[in-house]
Amino acid sequence: MIQTKSEVLQGTLDLMVLKTLAAMGPLHGYGIARRIEQLSEDVLRLNQGTIYASLVRLLQKGWISAAWGASENNRKAKFYSITRAGRKQLNAETENWKRISAVIGRVLQLAERM
Amino acid sequence: MFNWLKVLGSRIHGLLARREIDQDFRQELDAHLEMLTEENIRRGLPPEEARRTARMRLGGSSQLRDTHRELWGLPWLETFFQDIRYGARQLRRNPGFTWVAVITLALGIGANTAIFSLLDAVMLRSLPVRDPSQLVVFTWRARHLPAYTGYSSYSDCFTNISQVNPSGCSFPLPIFDRMQSETKAFSSVTAFAGPASLEVTGNGPPSIAHGEVVSGSFFPTLGVPAAIGRTIDPQDDSPDATPVIVLSHAYWQNAFGGVRSAIGRTVDLNNVPFTIVGVTAPSFARLAPGKSEDFWLPIAMAKRLHPRDRNDIGSWSWVMLGRLKDGVSLGRAQAAANLIFRDEVLHGAKPLSKPQDDPAVALLPAQEGLTGFRWLFSQQLHDLMFAVVLILLIASANVAGLLLARATTRVKEMAVRLAVGAARGRILRQLLTESVMLSAAGGTLGIVLAYWCVDVITELIWHSAGNHFSFAVTPDWRILVFTIAVSFLTGILFGFVPALSSTRLDLNLALKEGASTGGQPRSRRRFRAGSALVIAQVGLSMTVLAGAGLLFRTLRNLRDLNPGFDTRNVLVFGLDPTLAGYKDAQIQNLYRSVRNRIAALPGVLSASYSFPALLTGGLSTTVVQIRRLGREGMPVDIVNTGPGFFHTMRIPLLTGRTFTAVDYGQAAKGDMAAKPSEQPAGSAASKPRAKRSKLAAAPTSVLVNAMFVRKYLRTHNPLGEIISIDRPLEIIGVVADTKYDDLRRSIHPAVYVPVTGGGAYFELRTAGNPAVFIPAVRTAVDHVDSHLPLFDVRSESQNVDALLMQERLVARLGSFFGTLAVVLACVGLYGLLSYEVTRRTREVGLRIALGAQKSDVLKMVTGQGLNLVIIGVAIGIVGALGLTRFLSSLLYGVKPTDPLTFVAVSLILTGAALLACYIPARRATKVDPMVALRYE
Repeated sequence: MIQTKSEVLQGTLDLMVLKTLAAMGPLHGYGIARRIEQLSEDVLRLNQGTIYASLVRLLQKGWISAAWGASENNRKAKFYSITRAGRKQLNAETENWKRISAVIGRVLQLAERM
Repeated sequence: MFNWLKVLGSRIHGLLARREIDQDFRQELDAHLEMLTEENIRRGLPPEEARRTARMRLGGSSQLRDTHRELWGLPWLETFFQDIRYGARQLRRNPGFTWVAVITLALGIGANTAIFSLLDAVMLRSLPVRDPSQLVVFTWRARHLPAYTGYSSYSDCFTNISQVNPSGCSFPLPIFDRMQSETKAFSSVTAFAGPASLEVTGNGPPSIAHGEVVSGSFFPTLGVPAAIGRTIDPQDDSPDATPVIVLSHAYWQNAFGGVRSAIGRTVDLNNVPFTIVGVTAPSFARLAPGKSEDFWLPIAMAKRLHPRDRNDIGSWSWVMLGRLKDGVSLGRAQAAANLIFRDEVLHGAKPLSKPQDDPAVALLPAQEGLTGFRWLFSQQLHDLMFAVVLILLIASANVAGLLLARATTRVKEMAVRLAVGAARGRILRQLLTESVMLSAAGGTLGIVLAYWCVDVITELIWHSAGNHFSFAVTPDWRILVFTIAVSFLTGILFGFVPALSSTRLDLNLALKEGASTGGQPRSRRRFRAGSALVIAQVGLSMTVLAGAGLLFRTLRNLRDLNPGFDTRNVLVFGLDPTLAGYKDAQIQNLYRSVRNRIAALPGVLSASYSFPALLTGGLSTTVVQIRRLGREGMPVDIVNTGPGFFHTMRIPLLTGRTFTAVDYGQAAKGDMAAKPSEQPAGSAASKPRAKRSKLAAAPTSVLVNAMFVRKYLRTHNPLGEIISIDRPLEIIGVVADTKYDDLRRSIHPAVYVPVTGGGAYFELRTAGNPAVFIPAVRTAVDHVDSHLPLFDVRSESQNVDALLMQERLVARLGSFFGTLAVVLACVGLYGLLSYEVTRRTREVGLRIALGAQKSDVLKMVTGQGLNLVIIGVAIGIVGALGLTRFLSSLLYGVKPTDPLTFVAVSLILTGAALLACYIPARRATKVDPMVALRYE
């Protein structure tokens, strides 16, 4: 059975993965998970395995690509990098996200004042 | 935009490369785990502890791998295949149940497919031409009838030649010529008329065949190619061309044995030699649905066959089809056509219509406009379709009942699956898959059944209809799509409720109790659901049966109807000497000698001739004046009769006398009214056959029927009364009323006039079976003139059968479907009660132990079943009362709410149901109380 989380949560994780790859260049699964945890100042402690579902979804849409390579410790690892289509999608999503969060923020402030 | 397509593609790839991807991911997870462990060791955890924490932070690896596998595959499809495998196993485990369900469904779906195939062939099949959507048929309408001199229609399309708001699709040839040469809206236009009955000689014994007269542009416009040789082309359609014909595939097979050497041969049509140049493809047997032609010949050649034919502006007999040019709209083409039509009928040399009558042309898509004989079968087919949908509902209810009963035996299975955490939706889907599998199997078997059924039905129709019914019933994609859709919907329909109830379980109760008993309250509810299904089945069968009963009584009424003359032991055959070139004066002599010869045959009691013959579908009508009473334009039926007609047909003479030789001589001199035309009976719309002629000195003698006297003369003495149809006629006798063209039409005032020429039907009253006289009759006619073909050789009772073809068809199919409905309902009832008796074995055993008699037990079980049947019948009667009125146009002599039919049908249904109750009830009486009680 597919563990169905809400579309928003799935989408958020996908967006974060995409952003991480855009900022950091090619990374393996462990690296992406670590990076997201660090950026969120360990607020977001994920079950690191869930990152892979996100990676598969992004791969299938052609927004990232994958290749085997060697890690810092010369260990064999699979590296993911963002594609051109991925960057385009990221830009669009970022815009979208900003707009929505701005709206939500305004609405919430408004609610507070009342 | 096409992301989902990309995803689908990579998922399918994932499904195919599953093992590699799995392996790959395992390595990836291993690497990840290593890195996490190293990180933990760096933080100072002992290696064991570091590994454990790393595992926890990564998550369960087998769970991750499952999720990963699902993302890289099509889980929906995979579970679907799983369900199918599981379902197949379940169905194999219960072969008895599976067979009953599949056969029930096959009957329901097969009946639907069969009737839909007929409906498809008659109503939906597209014209057998290239690109039918571009083809349009010309129709005309006006406020009042245009003043044409002759109008023929050959059932190509809907025609209404009444005085007010008439319409039709026959046009005069000059309008066709202008449409062809003057408009630029069409890439081509064609005109055709027919079939004409033509005498074929030079190919075995002389015969009558049906040819359609077509313009040279006919085949090119339709885009119909020749299978062998060539079709008629525009060069063939000029007066000085060599006369050619193109054969239909069927005629080539039947009359020429399908040999290639037939091409190039010459045959004589009405004594004019024609060369056969080709054969059309088998798919092109007709243009308008239900019509059929033996061959086609060019318009220019028709003149040689019927020199009297006129093709002036007054003769409206040509159907026109046009092929729209690319990019030309129907509206623009119509405007262009209308301009020519109005110019011709309003401003021609001899205007046929007035501007205030607003004559106009409308173009219809040919598919829609060329209705042919479609209307003849339309209502019956729709009613039958409705009946078979009801049958399918019964079959579905039946299988739903079976599934409900089986669900009890699967309670434990379901409970276990739910208990170990299967999602309810998942089980529901699996059960529905099983139902759809059942109905798919039923549908497959149903198609086989349907093709067998369709063969039987078409055979039935062909047998009695002669050449009326020539719709090709063959499989096509529409039927396939229909059957698949019906099967799928049926599966969902009957599977849903039982599946829902299977998954709504009290787990504790179900797991505690044995699989066979289920939970008591639960199975009672299930019995209630089963009862509702049986009531529905009985109710639906009641509706089907009531309709069938009414149709059956209609057939009986019509068959037992006294047509006013004796139809037994009469042989009828047609003769048309005009085709062989006889003139009216010669025809008189010819008929006299033919009649003398056949009347002299041993076993022939008497012989006569008439035009048309009674009850063959042919009808002539005209109007009379009765000047003395100041009555004008009184419509009458008209029959041309030969000597001894009333005696031969056994029509009683009520008063006066019948015709003598003097009357025939007198009539011939006047060459009077009602000249028979060359068209076969039934092919021409009712058109007055009266011919204008100069007044003769002495009035011609005629007879009238009793209805004529009742309606037009009332108390006046009919004998010696002078009436007139273009010329004075003197009534010399009155005969009893008879039916004329068919059995349903009420009796109209009729005038019998002496035959003076034209074609005729001979009638022979024989001492025994009329069929045995056919060879002798042929020889007798040959002796008079060996070039005269006999046509429509049938006994009068065969003619009556042919008239009742539709009634017999719907009555038979109706009874068949009615029986099917009852059988299915009874099987359902039987199944439910059997289940109930099994469930209550203990209770019954206890009752018997406490002293209940066998008759008490019998009464108890039967009563339970009978209650359901009575409720079902009551509901069915209400439903049927509401629905049978839609049958009223098909009924004769019986009201849609006929109490007798309803009572009889209810009794039949209840009787059959009692039988279905009796078997399980008897089983209940055989319950051994000891066994039943020890069972606990």
